[in-house]
Amino acid sequence: MKSFWRGLVTFLIGAVVGYALGVILEGTVTGSMKFNAPVASALAFLFGFTALAYLGGKHSTIFRGLFWQVIGTFAGALLVTLIRALSGKDVFGPFFFTEPAWVLGGLVGALAFLFGSGIMDDWIKWMRGIDTPEHHEERYSGFEKYINVSLDHKVIGVQYTVLALILLCVGGLFAMIFRTELAESGLQFLKENVNVFGQNGPQLYNTLMSLHGMVMIVSILLGLAGMMNYLIPLMLGAQDMAFPRLNAFSFWIAVPAGVLLLSSLFLGGFDTGWTGYPPLSTRAPLGIQMFFLGVFVAGWSSILGSLNILVTVVRLRAKGMTAMKMPIFIWSSVAASIISLTATQMIGLAFQLVIFQRLLGMGFFDPAQSGNPVLFQHLFWFYSHPVVYVFVLPGLGVISELLPVFARKPLFGYRWVAMSSLGIALVGFLVWAHHMFAAGMNEYLRVPFMYSTLLVAVPTGVKFFSWVATIWQGKLVTPTAMLFVLGAIVVFLLGGLTGPPNATVSTDLHLHDTYYIVGHFHDTIFGGFVFPFFAALYYWFPKATGRRMNETLGKIHFWLMTPSFLVLTVGMMYIGMLGMRRRIVDYDPALGLDATHLVLTICGYLIAISIAVFLYNFIHSIKHGEKAEGNVWNSRSPEWQVPSPMPTHNYDQPFEVVGEPYDYGLEGSKYVQFTKSASDAAGKH
Amino acid sequence: MHSQDKSSALGQGVVIFIYLAVLTVMEYFIAILLDAISILIVVAVVKAALVLYYYMHIYKLNEEDADHDPHSYVFKTATNRLGLWLFLLSDGFLFAGLLVVRSNLLGLHRPDLNQLLGLVVTSVLLISSFFMNRGETLMSKGDVKGFMRNTVITFIMGLGFLLGVVFVEWRTAAAEGLTPSFGSVATGPVGGVFYLMTGMHAFHVLTGLIFLYIVWNNARKGVYTAEKHFPIEAAAVYWHFVDLVWIFFYPALYLIGKP
Repeated sequence: MKSFWRGLVTFLIGAVVGYALGVILEGTVTGSMKFNAPVASALAFLFGFTALAYLGGKHSTIFRGLFWQVIGTFAGALLVTLIRALSGKDVFGPFFFTEPAWVLGGLVGALAFLFGSGIMDDWIKWMRGIDTPEHHEERYSGFEKYINVSLDHKVIGVQYTVLALILLCVGGLFAMIFRTELAESGLQFLKENVNVFGQNGPQLYNTLMSLHGMVMIVSILLGLAGMMNYLIPLMLGAQDMAFPRLNAFSFWIAVPAGVLLLSSLFLGGFDTGWTGYPPLSTRAPLGIQMFFLGVFVAGWSSILGSLNILVTVVRLRAKGMTAMKMPIFIWSSVAASIISLTATQMIGLAFQLVIFQRLLGMGFFDPAQSGNPVLFQHLFWFYSHPVVYVFVLPGLGVISELLPVFARKPLFGYRWVAMSSLGIALVGFLVWAHHMFAAGMNEYLRVPFMYSTLLVAVPTGVKFFSWVATIWQGKLVTPTAMLFVLGAIVVFLLGGLTGPPNATVSTDLHLHDTYYIVGHFHDTIFGGFVFPFFAALYYWFPKATGRRMNETLGKIHFWLMTPSFLVLTVGMMYIGMLGMRRRIVDYDPALGLDATHLVLTICGYLIAISIAVFLYNFIHSIKHGEKAEGNVWNSRSPEWQVPSPMPTHNYDQPFEVVGEPYDYGLEGSKYVQFTKSASDAAGKH
Repeated sequence: MHSQDKSSALGQGVVIFIYLAVLTVMEYFIAILLDAISILIVVAVVKAALVLYYYMHIYKLNEEDADHDPHSYVFKTATNRLGLWLFLLSDGFLFAGLLVVRSNLLGLHRPDLNQLLGLVVTSVLLISSFFMNRGETLMSKGDVKGFMRNTVITFIMGLGFLLGVVFVEWRTAAAEGLTPSFGSVATGPVGGVFYLMTGMHAFHVLTGLIFLYIVWNNARKGVYTAEKHFPIEAAAVYWHFVDLVWIFFYPALYLIGKP
């Protein structure tokens, strides 16, 4: 409590100093003192934050990193400003620094976070020819372990998951704000005369709507990385990931990326939607640059994280774990990692090109310079379509992983399910232009992309048949985790069935850019990621903490969220077909959609309440949940054969795979068998 | 036996270098004398295959593990090697994307550049790859001094390439009116594409140079032995990768299409 007050006082002192400095600076530049100036509020926030980070930085990587990020941002921005001053160009922009200064500052800030926080210390030592031990002793315990650098994949997995949940709440909060505005036609509180962070109401709506998309996407990528990091080495029987330092780096770089992404809200926002298409993005306010940079840096996290997962799976499997004996979750993670390892480069390139076009006037997407705006869309969707398979594949893996456990039956068609993940990933590379049927690309390209898109239904259908056949005649038990698995199947089915109308050119031309797309997309992502993610959290929570989450609260969470979510998305599709355009702040009351919009907003609030219940349950159960240290779900998977929580270097005894992974209910069958102790097996120590 | 091994490995490097040099000269004259894009693409693919196999030793990915203990240097090296190649695969997508940008925006039009200068910088990079390979081969035979000598030559040539592109090529191009924001409906965004591609490649050359300096400096301190020198292998493979990219960028920027 004492440290809380100390933090608050530090923040306030910093904020007051920053505010005063902002007012004086703005006064000197513009000649008149203004007390609600955006510069002053931004500086107040920054200074308060920096002071707090400095205080916290003595004890934790995260605050030390953030402190250095602020310092780095200012250093980079000042450098550019100095160069501009010397070469006689404008020194100040609408957000104090000019745009080039902010861009370089943002980049330097992200790098400063990495150097300043000490994540790369070992690498720097290696560069200088100094060897370091393979694993460091954990310097921290309890909560502190999670706000400092740790090389343990389980700690990193939890860090990813918690950061994902934080961003999920931020993105959800944005959604609640604009969903409230949409409850009724006309402008209610995001009016023209509102001024928040230098944006009026509709502008703020655009920023929040655009950021909601990308914040959620980053949150999903982090949530996936959380699940994969925590589970893959455990399922493989490895001590850790193949590259523990790279693993920590991949997580920590996501923190400055998140800060960059959110900083766009304070630097003028942007009004492009999450896609950032030029020419809108070449004319948008400064915020778009921070958005691009944030996504660019988050891309490093994604690329390096997936690289690590692929190498770990190829190199560090337990004895006897041949490809066809790996858990399905690993298969689906491999498929997802192949996509994010390669395709992420394309969105990085697309965003870089817009950054360059804005800064240097290189006319890649400017038709007046014979550039091609459609090129951006090709590059963008070459990543952004396959990435939706990255979002859903690990989640579908979780479904296939948990269903046999709770149906007490073997997984139906293991080989087909394993291969279907790879099938989805590979076909996923060939479908990107179905987002561009209305974009003015060559007409003859439409038909092949239509068919390749419809082809995705085949491997996805394989998964559905496997799930249904697994449930068939099973002895179902339904704890919360299983409820979320069943919910995922229903919601993903709805998302899947509403897809073909978008893939088919004739219907898509009508549905394009309507709420139908919004409803369809939310169904696929909730079914493919959010529901399985919650299932995974309820299911593996005891593994991480040794306690389980409260079942009653879990069921309240499920039964509150699922019906409201279904009404929400079906309602979205309904108004979409009636002509509700996506991404707009207001709509014509004559459309007659006010009543439906009100229902959708109420559903949105119900989902928010259910998430609040979940968060309470999650946080409360860490310390006060019912003890659960054994094989609570009666699973065959190796991680449940040892007591929870796992020790630092995972298994004391190595195991050998001796059977099929999902032969539930077959007498005498075994998946893994623990062999000699680790020290005997290695023959040393 | 040992010295015979060494000289045959070095000899192979020389032969491959001669192939690459001949193919590059061929490329140059094909572009000047014929208008045959398909041949240029085939030549580039052949050159890339030679570099991938003989200089970057991609076949090592397929080798059986000599030691299954996950804590052994041999096992870890194989793991690191896979990681390195996956990184290059990812990076390769970036450069493939740049080639897509080039072909989409410029098509059969190319920047009007100094042909001789292009051939010179290309040769410099190619020769540097030869010395890099020589250095790595010597290191795997335990000859640290030989490695350091060849790395210095590689470094100087790489630096020459970098300076040649940034301070000679860019300056010449700018003097002839090719600026980053140069462009109209008639000329297209030629300048943008040229500076983007060469700039992104130059950035990778720069990181490669830093990498070379680090391994050279550590070799000087005696960190590496004939058995344990994965960082040198990584630096070499990365350096060849930068060369590999240029094998495609050179025809894309200098040879294919008409100015």
